[in-house]
Amino acid sequence: MLKVKNLTKRYGKKVALNNLSLEIKKGSVFGLLGVNGAGKTTLLSILNGLMDFDEGEVSIDGVSLKDEKRKVKSFSSIIPQHLAFYENLSVEENLEFFASIQKATKEDYEKAIEVNYLGELLKQKASTLSGGQKRRLNIAIGLLNNPKIIYFDEPTVGVDPKSRNEILDSIKEYKKLGITVVYTSHYMSEIERICDEVAIVSDGRVIEQDTLENLLSNKVSDKVMVESVFNEKLSTLGLKLLDETTVETTQKKLFEVLKLLEKNEIALKQIRYGSTNLEKHFLEITGESSV
Amino acid sequence: MFSAMIKKELLLVLRDKHALMALFVMPAIFILIMSVAMRDQFSVKNIEFTLFVKDLDNSAMSKELLSSIKDDATFHLTQTQKSADFMLEIPKEYEKESNATLHLFIQSSLKENEIKAFESIFSEYIYKVRFGAITEAIEPFAPDVAKQLSEFEFSVDKLYDVEYNNSKLLPNSTQQSVPAWIVFGMFFIIIPMSTIYVNERKQNTLARLNSMNISVFSMTLSKSIPYFLINQVQVWIMIAVGIFLVPLLDTPALEINGSIFAILEIAVGLSLTAIGISTLIAVSASSSEQATTIGGISNILLGAIGGVMVPKFIMPESMQKLAELSPMSWGLDGFLDIFLTSADSSAVFEDFAKLATFGLVSLTLSMILLHFRIKKRL
Repeated sequence: MLKVKNLTKRYGKKVALNNLSLEIKKGSVFGLLGVNGAGKTTLLSILNGLMDFDEGEVSIDGVSLKDEKRKVKSFSSIIPQHLAFYENLSVEENLEFFASIQKATKEDYEKAIEVNYLGELLKQKASTLSGGQKRRLNIAIGLLNNPKIIYFDEPTVGVDPKSRNEILDSIKEYKKLGITVVYTSHYMSEIERICDEVAIVSDGRVIEQDTLENLLSNKVSDKVMVESVFNEKLSTLGLKLLDETTVETTQKKLFEVLKLLEKNEIALKQIRYGSTNLEKHFLEITGESSV
Repeated sequence: MFSAMIKKELLLVLRDKHALMALFVMPAIFILIMSVAMRDQFSVKNIEFTLFVKDLDNSAMSKELLSSIKDDATFHLTQTQKSADFMLEIPKEYEKESNATLHLFIQSSLKENEIKAFESIFSEYIYKVRFGAITEAIEPFAPDVAKQLSEFEFSVDKLYDVEYNNSKLLPNSTQQSVPAWIVFGMFFIIIPMSTIYVNERKQNTLARLNSMNISVFSMTLSKSIPYFLINQVQVWIMIAVGIFLVPLLDTPALEINGSIFAILEIAVGLSLTAIGISTLIAVSASSSEQATTIGGISNILLGAIGGVMVPKFIMPESMQKLAELSPMSWGLDGFLDIFLTSADSSAVFEDFAKLATFGLVSLTLSMILLHFRIKKRL
């Protein structure tokens, strides 16, 4: 779906992207990790046609970005970190405006509303929405052109746990629709939860790219990660939580944890054996103290 | 696509109550206040002098002099010296001594032109009584000459056949206030425009639109059209205020002597300039607070220089030359020509051309700047 070869971008003497190469499969949810200043934002700006690059080749769905930028833009979409819509317009007015300028079909318009649970909020002024609802509107706008590829630039910053779960669940839905997702986030647990493949960017280069499974299975330990469906009770059970849905435990204590979850009617999503979390791996490979 | 962008911009402006106040209510209130406040300064009314006369001569001539000025509405004779601007003392032996001088005491607050006007009008009566005395004296010896002298008219109005040249007409207070505050109000689109622009840029909405294949040119044009329409509505509402509301305050109604098409022409030119400057400020500023502060200050400066706050015709010559640098002055000159004379589209074309060129250059610079600002950040 996306092929980036020897991409270089300079800001004066500073090299933001240094011969960066990357390949993303069609229909995958791809995580892009890197510390601040690693080059993620520059890469996303280039892939969206907002910024020109100095050297290299980029092709998206077989279309060269350099030669046919307008065409690439027409089937790509970016969900910016900031809430890029109009607070003084209603949800419906915002969606109609962005749908109109992208010539969205009625079907795409309705799908964007449905996938992001905005049906009940259409008449509400955007400024009166909760943080999570605003994020969902921000995402819905990005779906209006029925994109083949969507870039998420840290879409869950400042979002409450419930809304974050809804957003992450909706991203999984895009995979079912055949949309390729490129996802950047500071929350490693989110990447672990939704991504199939991950690339770690450092100093303008991809220093590691692999499937999430391969990345994590190399770090064998006694630990087990139990991922559940979001439930507020989980945080009250005294378990060690990696995030609001993932419990870290050991193989020895696994049975006990599962029984506790069952007793509290908390549904399971998956169990990962013998792996450590992505954050530890990221810190090891980049040598950074924090993300 | 384009209509959606225009609709969006209009919805955002029309929901901004503060912006609507600045665009429509503020200039309308200014027109009403300033038209009334400056009414007397601009009106051509009959001159009236308050005068206290002390007649020490008490002669037939002095009595005749007093009697003739009593019949002239220009002079209002007072009973006390304190309430008069002028105090005239007719000295003893005034009638007998043909070269006798009248003593004139003047309030020091009076202007030179008022004193000269008094002297000029009062002199008519002095010549009249002195001439009358001479005529009377020579009548027994030369009756024909005396008859000719008695027919002589001393009134200044009779000495000159005055014809007015309309090239430098002065406006009344309404004709000055309406165009001045129309121009000023039009430039206040900076407030909503900069607020929306800066928010869009800061929240990356413009970058998002750009990623949706909306060019900087389309963004700028789609923003300009709603403000252009708002400016045109402003012009006609303010003209309506001048025609229909101002007379309710016992002030002359706005008279339009020129062509309606010429008004449209100047309104288009002014709007291009107002949009150009506003866009340039909105695109350059890093926050909406900064944009509204810079915009507000530049509006006030351009207005002060350009003859909005102080009419150009009462400015000293050096200031009038400086005023020519302000686009507000170009628009104001155009409107004054239309309201005062029978100016048509061709008569105000020079003002229109200056405004349109200034506006289009500003808009082009704004687009170049916006292009770079969007490219710089996601």
